[in-house]
Amino acid sequence: MNRFSAEDARRTEALEARLGLRLAASLTALEVAKPDRDVNERLRFAREQALARGREARRTAAASSLHGARGGTAVMSGPDTNTPWWLRVSSVLPLALLLGGLIFIDHQYSRAQIEAAAEVDAAILADDLPPEAYRDAGFVEYLRSARQ
Amino acid sequence: MATDKELSDFLKSVEKRAFKRTAYTVRDEEAALDIVQDSMIRVAEKYAERPAEELPLIFQRILSNATMDWFRRQKVRNAVLVNLSEFEGADDDGGDFNLLELLDTSTTGTATESAADSVGRLQVLEIIDGEVARLPGRQREAFLLRYWEELDVAETAAVMGCSEGSVKTHCSRAVHSLAKALRAKGVSL
Repeated sequence: MNRFSAEDARRTEALEARLGLRLAASLTALEVAKPDRDVNERLRFAREQALARGREARRTAAASSLHGARGGTAVMSGPDTNTPWWLRVSSVLPLALLLGGLIFIDHQYSRAQIEAAAEVDAAILADDLPPEAYRDAGFVEYLRSARQ
Repeated sequence: MATDKELSDFLKSVEKRAFKRTAYTVRDEEAALDIVQDSMIRVAEKYAERPAEELPLIFQRILSNATMDWFRRQKVRNAVLVNLSEFEGADDDGGDFNLLELLDTSTTGTATESAADSVGRLQVLEIIDGEVARLPGRQREAFLLRYWEELDVAETAAVMGCSEGSVKTHCSRAVHSLAKALRAKGVSL
């Protein structure tokens, strides 16, 4: 029963397709039998316009990609073998100088901090008062009242 | 990549059908011409680098989208959707009508000739054209893409943005509707 139904459906589908194609062919035949010359002419013009626009778009894209490629080479100093070595070095030099400067500043800052800490330590150690005195609340109070 | 000539030949081969299909939908020749031109420009500008065999599907999708954009711009999309839903409801196209009766008469070439002779070939073609124009939007779209543009079911579904099952249903209903209407007018193929 199911097999019959499936075959029946396939047969109907095939017949529908045949009729569909025949009807569609009638539409094509109508175009041929009764062409609309004005519409056809306007379609031809529209097509030519579209093709011209397409050519223009491709030309613009090609030009911009070429320009982009050249720009990229100049900035990156990439694989362009015509660029002299000193020009390639000079493009990296500012970056190297900046990096060196940053390292020097960091080193100087660390050194200044170490020296300041050493001075404080030396002053405390060289003082008559032992460092433990500053932990005594009474001595701190004495210093404060003496300052006032 | 499609060459300039391939692109030109392709557009030439589809432009008339594209115009007719769009005119059926928007029922405005000027608008249909604009839509087809916009679609051709879009293909030429953005898809000319694609292989030539991909162009038919791309073009049909662009044309369908451009047509929908036109409806959106016209702010009549709601009306269209209402119409479409009404058409979807018209489920009795197949009904008790026996498609085989009409299809059986369409199996021989001599039958075609005799029908064309009796009614007048051009008149028959115009009646068919009118009945296609009267089909519900989605059915007509599926019918034209499948049988006029000769896309397969999957390609038609991709263009229409629906399932393959829906395409088959739309096509079947369209063919049954056309057959029924043509028989009612005494037209046999």
